Amino acid sequence: MAQRRPDRTLGPGHDEFWAWCNKSELRLQRCADCGRLSWPAVSACEFCGSTQLAWERMSGRGKIVSWCTFERDYYQGALPIPWETILVELEEGPLFISNPSGLTWKDIEAGMPVKLSFLDCEDSDGVFRLPIFERA
Amino acid sequence: MSEATAAGVPPPSPALSRKAAIVGVGETDYHLDYKAARAKPPGYEPPTPEGLAKIAFERAMSDSGLRREDVDGLSVSFLYGGPDAKSLAPMLGLGPRYLIENGGILAGPLQVVCADIAAGKCDTVAMVYAVASRAIGRQYGGSTYTGGERTPTSYYYYHPWGWSSQAAHWALISRYYQTSFGTTEEDLGAVAVQLRRNATANPNAVMQTPLSIEDYLNSRYIVRPLHVFDLCLVNDGAVCLIVRRADKARDLPHTPVLVAGWGESKIVNSKLHYLVRERLRPQLQDAGRQALDMAGLELSDVQHLEGYDASTIHLVDQLEGYGFVEPGAGLDFCKKGDMAVGGKLPVNVGGGMLSGSYMHGWNQVAEITRQLRHEAGPCQIEGVETSMFSLAQTDQAHPVIFTRGG
Repeated sequence: MAQRRPDRTLGPGHDEFWAWCNKSELRLQRCADCGRLSWPAVSACEFCGSTQLAWERMSGRGKIVSWCTFERDYYQGALPIPWETILVELEEGPLFISNPSGLTWKDIEAGMPVKLSFLDCEDSDGVFRLPIFERA
Repeated sequence: MSEATAAGVPPPSPALSRKAAIVGVGETDYHLDYKAARAKPPGYEPPTPEGLAKIAFERAMSDSGLRREDVDGLSVSFLYGGPDAKSLAPMLGLGPRYLIENGGILAGPLQVVCADIAAGKCDTVAMVYAVASRAIGRQYGGSTYTGGERTPTSYYYYHPWGWSSQAAHWALISRYYQTSFGTTEEDLGAVAVQLRRNATANPNAVMQTPLSIEDYLNSRYIVRPLHVFDLCLVNDGAVCLIVRRADKARDLPHTPVLVAGWGESKIVNSKLHYLVRERLRPQLQDAGRQALDMAGLELSDVQHLEGYDASTIHLVDQLEGYGFVEPGAGLDFCKKGDMAVGGKLPVNVGGGMLSGSYMHGWNQVAEITRQLRHEAGPCQIEGVETSMFSLAQTDQAHPVIFTRGG
């Protein structure tokens, strides 16, 4: 059963990201000119402006850099409160905001290793697979 | 227009330093208006931006000692709706030659007006800002932001993970700060307690009830680890500044307050890295250096800081980021009383936006004006000659240096 989530940002670039997620692959755009990864999805490299970008598969390994828990119900009933979120540094470098699977703020420590998993979700545009992280 | 964006700031230049001065200031009754908005007595009418703006304007005019015909410019910053500059001018009884709508948040409008005064486009500008955030039920998280060219991606991109709000940015910074420097919630709470203490000396501050560290620790969380007292107020109000050519700013009732320098620096990539792990230090260093160079001053000349306290931790980011104290030393500095009037660097002496009034920095420039005139009453910093205002958002820094005129 797909979890209902607030809407994704869709459009050129974003659609490709989610299409890879739906194949259970986390892919970010690497610049062919400067070699750096941009995230969130961009139309031109956020470092050098090049449009020579290719979707590269991430290892799915990372570590938790920071985390926060929503006690205020900003989404007005759409998500259960408290709501856990984490900031993950992917092995390849970029910082990625996500949700922890099976962890609350009490369990998390700075630098905790995590690995990628996918959760079946749904928003107003339909079903999709959401990249989340569990303890490695 | 989003509050997350700034008007284009003219490049800092010593040639623009001290060419314009604040000669009049007016604010609405934040404390009384907030009480009324909470109590909603029979017949209560929520305020409108133009109604608030008129009150602040009349007070600023009266404070400046100028007549309406002396005002040849109008700058309008209505953050969440209100009339345009052309419609507002006759409502204020003005027929200015210079009209500009240049934003909302104080991250550019003043610098633009100063440069335009220096360029001879006008001599005396009424700068009017108003918000009716509370009256319109403004939300600062959830699906409020859905994108748009000038809105940072971090305001809307992470909705599918349930991550949103300005508060969430500060919460990630806060947790990172705790784990980096071994600090606790109680340590950060000292900032909220200090600013409330400052507010209790300011009769127009929204919050007047003393706050203890126990009150802070017992208060509800908004985004853990941040408590409600780590986040700025939401209230309605207006500020008007009368800004005049510096050579015409003498012989008025009050000592002029000169706009001496400004700077601007923005994150251009890796936003979450620069925001959470660097806490904007590279941007604050860069913009601070520009502002001080323009003013011909050193950081050690700054005797008073009014920093953009959207959150306690973000104020600490600024205190440390400009270099007033070393990274990690900000909370001890606060706990020792060094942010208080009489301390090494008084900070947000009217209560800032955490306990004073959430006027997107405008109330803080009003406080600087009173301080540099030496008319701040019980909040007065003795002999202050130089103040720094720091507007810092999640991805940019806009410091402004003010000096006491002769």
